[in-house]
Amino acid sequence: MKWLLGLGFALSLAAADPAVLEKGKAEEKRACVACHGTRIVHVQRLSRAQWERELTKMAGWGAPIRDREALLEYLLANYGDDKPVAPLPRSEDASNSKR
Amino acid sequence: MFSRRKWMKVLGAGMSALDGWGQGPLRFPGKRPMLVQNDFPEDLETPVEYFDTWITPNDAFFVRQHLPRPKVDAGSWRLKVGGMVSNPLTLTLDDLKKMPPVKVPATLECAGNGRANYRPKVPGLQWSKGAIGNAEWRGVRMADLLKRAGAGAGAKYGNFNGADNGVAKTPDFIRSIPMRKLMHEATIVALEMNGAPLPEIHGFPARLVVPGWDGASWVKWVTEMDLSDEPSKGFFFATAYRYPKYSPVPGSAVKPEDMEVLEGMAVVSYFARPVHGSAAKKGSPLRLQGVAYAGENRVSRVEVSTDGGSKWIDAKLSPQNYPFAWRLFTFVGRRGYRVSHPLFEGHGFSGARAAGGMPVESVRVHV
Ligand code: HEC
Repeated sequence: MKWLLGLGFALSLAAADPAVLEKGKAEEKRACVACHGTRIVHVQRLSRAQWERELTKMAGWGAPIRDREALLEYLLANYGDDKPVAPLPRSEDASNSKR
Repeated sequence: MFSRRKWMKVLGAGMSALDGWGQGPLRFPGKRPMLVQNDFPEDLETPVEYFDTWITPNDAFFVRQHLPRPKVDAGSWRLKVGGMVSNPLTLTLDDLKKMPPVKVPATLECAGNGRANYRPKVPGLQWSKGAIGNAEWRGVRMADLLKRAGAGAGAKYGNFNGADNGVAKTPDFIRSIPMRKLMHEATIVALEMNGAPLPEIHGFPARLVVPGWDGASWVKWVTEMDLSDEPSKGFFFATAYRYPKYSPVPGSAVKPEDMEVLEGMAVVSYFARPVHGSAAKKGSPLRLQGVAYAGENRVSRVEVSTDGGSKWIDAKLSPQNYPFAWRLFTFVGRRGYRVSHPLFEGHGFSGARAAGGMPVESVRVHV
């Protein structure tokens, strides 16, 4: 049990490697913006298994993922299910009608 | 309200991934300030404080898109009606405008409204309460179109496609609607929304209005109706927008054969005011306000409780009482009512009790 916890700790340390996160972020910018913006990605708070499924789904639809590992670590580090939810931004007023 | 800049500051520089890439200001022509779920394509949530009119104005109406938004030219746009029909049609916008017009007030709600409150979290747009709105739609009865096309006796579904297309291998957005719903007198191909031509973002020049059913059925920029004895096998009908037939343990997997099409929406109510967690002055009168919607049914009654659910009091309803359309409710504490508890809790009950109304929401106000 203890070594399992230790392994988890080691993994989370590896996940926090800034170089990997940078690579993951670059990967998102490269592979995830052809069909939609990144906001739809960033509003999610998902577990590792859920992110795995999302990446498989998006790859199936044509997302040209090359560095899946780095992308996954980056998504988990920023948009994992343990991360706080950010309030949604509000757009500027662009209504044509007077109220 | 938290300004975006402030929020960024709270998170610090290490998390600059918050934003999209190289995007300018968030501005959506024709829209008031909206909560931005996504900007390309636009997925915009209506802030609940706009829920104070029975008709949700077009500039405040929520937006949901699956695929990049198509640019449709009114002159070359056509609606094709084909498949199991004796008289296939290719109609122009003018052709539709010459058919007898009908007006239908109806509430449109995204099936995923409220998803932000799920625990554990599930993927999809993280709507809080604002993926719902009520409008008056004007257009042509689907039943009239089907009559004109000579729908065959064997036809069981209309399979609908819009002008939007998937990028790369993304599936096209195709939805199937059974004949019994298509023949309903309130199911229309709408050309207008609240007295104006459909805004582009809401499906110009034509969209389906399928009253009481989930937003995914209300196909936008509709260009094709194919009558068939089979529903679509495409992703957006056969896989997505399916819901478990039973209440699963939250977070557990459900077998595909235990999933079914959503169709009619469940009874819901949403508090618009007061805002959850907001402050109220001690001794001030209490005013609860919100919306209640019962899918294909009428909302006959909304009750609220100010004591955690032991006593329920009828809220006042907006006068319009139609199937398919929401009602606004308000409850003002009787004169001299004192909010004296340190924590006040109100619960909304909506719909008829006979339908087994269920508690859907509570708001807490600190006094
Ligand atoms: C080939 C087009 C395409 C690419 C490239 C793409 N996506 Fe998507 N993605 C979609 C579509 C289409 C939807 C919306 C589906 C819907 O609205 O139901 C979507 C939705 C999503 C969602 C919301 C949840 C869901 O499943 O609907 C997430 C999260 C997501 N994408 C993540 C990603 C990530 C991460 C990448 C980069 C690896 C990516 N996408 C690249 C097409 C794409």
